[in-house]
Parts: sequence; C-alpha cells; structure tokens
Amino acid sequence: MPSKVFMTPRRLMAPALLGLGLAVSLPSQALPIDECIAPADPGGGWDFTCRSVGKLLRDLELVEGNVQVTNMPGGVGAVAFSNVAGKRADDSNLMVATSTVGMTQIAQGRYPGDADTMRWLAMLGTDVGVILVDDDSPYESLDQLLEAIVDDPTAVAMAGSSGAGGWDHIRALRLAKAAGLPGDQISALRWVQFDGGGPAVTQMMGGHVDAVSTDLGEIAGFIESGDVRPLAVLSDEPLPEPFEELPTAVSQGYDVTGYNWRGFYTGGEVSDADYAAMVETLEALYQSDEWKEVAAQNGLVPLWRGGEDFNDFVRESIDNVEAISREIGVIQ
Amino acid sequence: MSDDAETSHAALGDRIAGAVLALLALGAWWHAQSFVTGFMQPVGPGVFPQLVSVPLGLLAVYLIARPGLNQRWPDAAALCRQLGVLLLLGTYAAFLEPCGFIPSTLVATVVLMRLFGAHWRQALPYGLLLGLALYALFEFALGIPLPDMPGLKV
Amino acid sequence: MDIFDFLVHGFAVALQPQHLLLALIGCTIGTLIGALPGLGPVNGVALLIPLAFNFGLAPTAALILLVSVYYGCMYGGRISSIVLNIPGDEPAMMTTLDGFPMARAGRGGEALGLSAVASFVGATVATIGLTLFAPLLVTVAIRFGPAEYFALFVLAFATIGGVTTGSFTKSFIAASLGLLLGTVGIDPVSGVARYTFGWYELYDGIDYIVALVGLFAVSECLLFLERDRDKADAAMRIGSAVPGMRRSLDCAPTIGRGSVIGFISGVLPGAGASLGSFLSYVLEKRWWGAKGKFGEGDPRGVAAPEAGNNAAAGGALIPMLSLGIPGSGTTAILLALLLSMNITPGPLLFEQQPDMVWGLVAALFIGNVMLLVLNIPLVGFFAKVLQAPSWFLMPMVTLVAFVGIYSLNNSAFDLYMMLAFGVLGYGLRKLEIPTVPVVLGLLLGGQMEFNLRRAMSISGGDWSILVNSGISIGIYLFAGTLLLAGLMYALLLKRRLG
Repeated sequence: MPSKVFMTPRRLMAPALLGLGLAVSLPSQALPIDECIAPADPGGGWDFTCRSVGKLLRDLELVEGNVQVTNMPGGVGAVAFSNVAGKRADDSNLMVATSTVGMTQIAQGRYPGDADTMRWLAMLGTDVGVILVDDDSPYESLDQLLEAIVDDPTAVAMAGSSGAGGWDHIRALRLAKAAGLPGDQISALRWVQFDGGGPAVTQMMGGHVDAVSTDLGEIAGFIESGDVRPLAVLSDEPLPEPFEELPTAVSQGYDVTGYNWRGFYTGGEVSDADYAAMVETLEALYQSDEWKEVAAQNGLVPLWRGGEDFNDFVRESIDNVEAISREIGVIQ
Repeated sequence: MSDDAETSHAALGDRIAGAVLALLALGAWWHAQSFVTGFMQPVGPGVFPQLVSVPLGLLAVYLIARPGLNQRWPDAAALCRQLGVLLLLGTYAAFLEPCGFIPSTLVATVVLMRLFGAHWRQALPYGLLLGLALYALFEFALGIPLPDMPGLKV
Repeated sequence: MDIFDFLVHGFAVALQPQHLLLALIGCTIGTLIGALPGLGPVNGVALLIPLAFNFGLAPTAALILLVSVYYGCMYGGRISSIVLNIPGDEPAMMTTLDGFPMARAGRGGEALGLSAVASFVGATVATIGLTLFAPLLVTVAIRFGPAEYFALFVLAFATIGGVTTGSFTKSFIAASLGLLLGTVGIDPVSGVARYTFGWYELYDGIDYIVALVGLFAVSECLLFLERDRDKADAAMRIGSAVPGMRRSLDCAPTIGRGSVIGFISGVLPGAGASLGSFLSYVLEKRWWGAKGKFGEGDPRGVAAPEAGNNAAAGGALIPMLSLGIPGSGTTAILLALLLSMNITPGPLLFEQQPDMVWGLVAALFIGNVMLLVLNIPLVGFFAKVLQAPSWFLMPMVTLVAFVGIYSLNNSAFDLYMMLAFGVLGYGLRKLEIPTVPVVLGLLLGGQMEFNLRRAMSISGGDWSILVNSGISIGIYLFAGTLLLAGLMYALLLKRRLG
C-alpha cells in the first residue's frame, strides 16, 4: 500500500490545498470538510475510503463543493501523519483516512507520534481479512495450507500489502500460531510485501508466491472472477452477500479474527466545536442508504463509532495490537 | 550535453569530482551499516545502498586515475552572474512565504531580468507584468493557491 | 458483442461533434500546461476534474476531455524538451538528447512535427496491441515476478552507457549517483529513515520532478548566463512542422521498433513510459552504431523515444485496466481519474464495462489524432514565444518552474532542493557527466530495490532466485550482450580517434 515506489502523483495534492489559504485566515469559523488525504497511492484501501466518502459527502450535499482527494504515500501513512502533525494540526477542513493498519504502525512506534497527536473522528465500516491461494493451487483448504506451514515453515511464501510485522502479516502469523506453529519458528515463515492487495494477488496468480493474506475489499474482484480461491475470511460470523459462502477461520476451528476498520482522523489542534461538527457530518453520511450500498459493494461491513467513543476505541485497538505484536515478536 | 562544444582535457575538474564522489560513496556505504534490519527481512534497508555505492566508489576512483573531458569553466563575470541568480532565487524562496507571493515575485522578476541583461526600463515594466501574469496563471487559471501577503484577508 | 464491435461503438461515440470539441479544448489546454516546466499532466487533469463535474458532463465526455488534457500535457512536455532543453515531464526526458540539438540547428519545427507523428504511430500501435492481445498479455505480464523485474532494471542500467555520446564511466557514475539518491527517505519496508539526517522533508524521498526541473531547467538557466548573449538570441529558429511529418516516412522503421519496445515495457506494470522511451532510444542507437549521429541531432533520436513513450503509455493501460495496477506515475493519474468516476479497474472490468474500456481506448486515440492536427498551428505559436528576447524568456521559464515546484507541496524546502539539483546539474554538465541517468536512477531505483528485496523474501535469503527462471536468464544474457557491444564500440571509437 505505501511507498514512493510507484512514482505517485504527489502533485495531485497541489490543487487540493485550495482550502488551506481560507482556513488559515479564518481559523475560528467551522468550515466543511473539503479535503481528504489518502496516505497511499491511488487504488488501495485508504484511497478508496477517501474517494468514496468524499464523493458521497458531495452527492449528499453534506459539504459545499468538492472534497479533494490528496494522495500522500510513504511509510504506511507516516508521511501523511507527520505532515498533518507538523503543518496542518489546526486545519478543520481536513480529514485523513486511516484503519487498523495505521493503528498497527502506531502500536509498533513507526509513526512520529502517538494516538494523542491527532483527533480521531470516526469509523464508518470495517473490512475483513481473507486468506487466498491461486485457483490451481494444491491447497484446497485452510487446514492443508496451515498443515504445510507447520510442517515446514519455509515451504510457503505468503504475501500481502503490509510489511513484515504489519497487519496483513500479523493476521497470517496468528493463524499459523493457532495451527500449532511453535513461537521460535515464526521467523522462518516467508513474507513478501507488495504495494497493495491487488499486486500481491497478481503475483500469486503468476506463481511467484503461494498464498496471500490481505483485506477482502481490495481484492473482491478477483474472488468474483474466480481467479483465486479464498480459504478463509477472518470474521466472527459469515459475511453478508455476496460473500456469504466464504468459510470463516473460526468455523474451520482456528480462533482467529482480523478486521480492518476504515475511519478518519484530523489534526490534534482542531477545536472542540469543529471536531464535533466534523463527527456530525460523518455520522449523517453513515446514516445514509447510499453509504450502506457503497460499503456493501466493496466488501465493507458498515459499522459506526464516532467522537469520544471512537477515540477510546482507537486507544484500545492500539494497546491490543501492541500486545499481539509483542506476543509474536515483532516488537520486543 | 548541448553546450558550446569547446571541451578540453581538464584533468583537474574530473579529479576533484572523482574525489568528491568517492568520498560520497564511502560515506553512504559507511552510513548504510547503521540501518537496522527489521523484523523477518532477509535483505535489510542497508543492502541496496551499499550495493550501489560500490560501483559509484570504484568508478569515481577510476575517474581520478583516468580523467576525461570537461567543458570550459565560466569566466569570473559569468560566475558572478550565476552566483547572483542562485542567491536571488534562494532569497526568493526564503521570502515567498513570510512576505507573500506578489511582493516577493515582483522583486524577483525585475532583478532576474536585470541579471539576464535587461535595462531597468525593460526590466521594470516587463518584470511587473510577468510577476502579475504568473500570479494570475497559478492562482486563477490553474487554481493553485499561493501565499498571500501578510495582513491581507483573502 | 465482441471486442471490435465495442471498439467501433467507442469510436462512434468519441467522434460526435461535442466530443471532438472537448478533445480539441483538452488538447490545447493540456499542451500549454505541459509545455510549462514543472507543470504536468497531474496539474492539467486536477484542474479539469472539478470543471468536468461542474459542467455536469456525461462520463464518456468527461473521460474524453480529461484524456485529451493528459495527452496534451505529454505532448507539451516534448515541446519544451525540444525547444528549451527542459523536459516538461519525465518520459519526455529522452527527447532532449536529440531534439534540442535539432532545434539549435534550426530544425526545431521538424523535430516537433516528427515527434507528433512518432507519438501518433506509437499510440496507434499500442491501441492495436491492446485490442488484439490484452487478455494474452495479462497472462504474460504476470509471469514477471520480483526476480524478473529486478533483471529488467539491471538491463536498463546495463544499457545506460549508451544514453549519451560521452564516456561510459561517466554514464555509469551518473546512474549510480541517481540510484543512491533514490534511496533517500523512509524505507517503506522497514520504516528506517535513510540519509534523511533528521529532515522531515526528506522522509518521502527526493521528488523526481524537483530533481528533473533542477537538473534541467535551473542548470540550463545557469549555463545560459555564460553564453554570448547576441549569439544566443539569434540562434533559435523553429521552422515549420511539415518537413518533420514528411521526414517521419524515412524514420518509419525506427518508429516501428520504438513502438514495439515501448509497448512491451508498458505492459509490464512498474516499468512504465520512462523505461519505454529510454529502452527505445538506447536500442535504436545501438542498432545504428557508428552510422547514427545520436546525441547531435539525429531525427531518429527523436522518433524512437517518442514512439516508445506513447506506445508504453498505451501498453500500461493493460495492467491498469485488467489488474488495477498503475504501472507508472502517469497511469496512476488515469487510475485516479477512473476511480473518481466510480469505475474500479480490475479483472472484471473488461467483462462488466466493455463500453467504458473501449470508450477510453477510443478517447485516447482521438486525443492523438487531435494533437497531430493541432501540431501545425502550435508550432507557429511556440516559434513566436521563442522569439521573445532572452532577458524575458529565461526569467519566465525559470520562474514558472519555480512556482510550479512550489505548488507541488507548498514547500520552500522543495525550492532549495531544486536549486541544489540545479547546481549539481550544472556541475555535471560542465564535467560532461550526463544528467539523464541520474533522473533514471532516481525514478527506477525504488522499484529495482524493492523487487530485489521481494525476491529475497520469497527465497528466504537465497540469492540464486535471481537467475532461477528462463525470463531472468534471457534478460541477463541480453543485457550482457548489449553491455559488451557497447564497451567494444567505445573502445573501437577511441582507437579510431587515436
């Protein structure tokens, strides 16, 4: 998902700064959200979050004019995080897309700051982890795949959109642990990072890696087209349509779930009034039928947490991921 | 690659460049050793920079040993103009945000035109014109906001 | 309906008068924006996206407008490459090598006309390739894993000695320097900050646009200050575009080869238009050997990269549309554009929205035809602009570049960086070290490194994975042959010169 690898249009942000001049000169007045930073390249989950939410805000007339989407890739969101913290902490027109992936980075100390640096607005829905193999892979079930991993952890190369120790990787490792892989062999498992779920799946179709652990939303198209074989989704309950057929890991006897919620934060110096207004705008969006529709189309389950409730939840998630990371050995 | 074809065997220029690049390569190689390899990565962040600094260093040493052709270096007057332009552009960059786009640009265009050999009576009107045209182009035509003068409301 | 019916339908839609008018407007605006150094397709497209929404244009109409702007910008980039020696965007970089010498010899119009025809043919070849082979090419492209990509980048850098007429050593020095500069910033794999020395501004790495404008535009400005003013003012004559269009007949084989090479590099995601134009140029130069005058204003040196870069841009649509992977900066813009219109590229796009896919292809094609036609009046316009006295022209170019770079991030740091690259570019050019490989290193280094690291992750640290497939071995053999041929040629040339 991250990185400057794909020579991304950092320049897309230039016109996006249109609102900045206004905001700086009139800081006291609450202005509608007019920019969303996607801390990744076009095409990934954060980019989708910004684009779909931005478009809906405009279509539902919850904001005046357009919500400009700015792609600011780098460091799995660290670049956008430090940019907002350093330059735009009081910009109440701005929101930044984030998710469990971002929480993982914070929990592992990879952002220049902690949860207190920002104000956490809301989450609108959640994506769910999925384990895939190619449609002509020898692994027919999650059992077979995990058995092969436990047998010889170096035999299977897994890939995803996060780096080693990132959220996609953690979910795969938890499954391997649940299947009985001893803790001291975890580092023998092979993990390959690509620039997103799509590229990872493509490389798996080319036979370069054996299995992929990523979010369902990003690669739903490949499941529908039948190019890949989903072995498990990491939700508590089976998903709603059209993915109701996919087996959960829990139902196959592995007590592992791994959601990836999608939400937004804004700068830490945004006033209480502006913060409340932004949360309210997002809640109005969440309540609309249009959002439910967009979410369903993209494999997201609509789920609301906003304001202080979300603030607490973010801290809880970070602590949670930190504990898991410690358990697996990503951080000491 | 495009310029006055007057080249000469100027061993000195190449040797200095070779020395600078060799030092750079050495520094990069040394600094790359401090990059910590993360969790479960067979190839850490320091490997590629080290891999690249080896040919850079070797080729730089080769350049010291076997220098090639250089273009003619500028005379003192040209050098002064070049330094003047760099100084002007650097100052412009520094004043762009604190002073706002219009005042700093107007000064920069006029002085830059002077440095490129215009008379004051050419530089003044055309410099002002160019500065305002740039403002109009970016602020209005392209919709890119530029820093405003302090104290001015939008 | 099969593909051809869709394509015919797409063209029928694109050829409606309203759409042609939009294509004309888009191409004109795009060319003007693209010709300004530092401003590129991103600015153009970003400028017109809200406009398209506000006018309530239908999706097809909006797509045609935006695609025309995109192509116009790419073409505008070549105009400044040829007449000012300042590439408007990175794929236009190779065009400076022979385009600017042609312009200095009074053949600027010819170069512009030729580049328009070559671009057109490149885009046409890509469109045909896309129509006939898209499904097949996807299956080939996915055979390229990390190890194969790494081999491809090795090939690119092995041939870099052929970029300029200058010394072999210096080209490789420039490439290594570029690759090293490309590692600056936060390493996305480990999160380690490399060579940033605590500067937050460097965390996202060195922006290649900042480097490009500094290395070319600022250094050109510095070099200009030492030239004889009267001579410089009289030097440029543009001429007409028509002889260039005729000249393209002589260059037909070159254009053909460039188109094919470009198309292939475009299909591989991650390689993109820059690699396409680069390989087209270098291989064409090798093809002619001592018989060509590459680097001194050989028309084939304009035709090859132009055909290559447009064919690559077309080829890059295949992975972008069918896999949702943007292969390069420019296709990333198109992807963002499609997403903003609620079209999500992916494996089902060709089946689910064929009208959209082929409408896009038709729009790209129409944009190219429009540029070919527009070229004749535009050359006259740019000839006029260049007749402005140098004390006006050079400050104008410098300041447009300056403000353009500033507007990327609203950051004065980028401006200092650009000036630093300007001084570097000036020094390199004085030392006869080519600047093109520096930008290529910066541009391709990231992908090269990450594919190496991915390959090593797959193999668990076993380096033999790099030569584990037929594709990789083939690429290395080809690279070795080219490298050897280049070295032999350089030695031969040296002996002949005594």
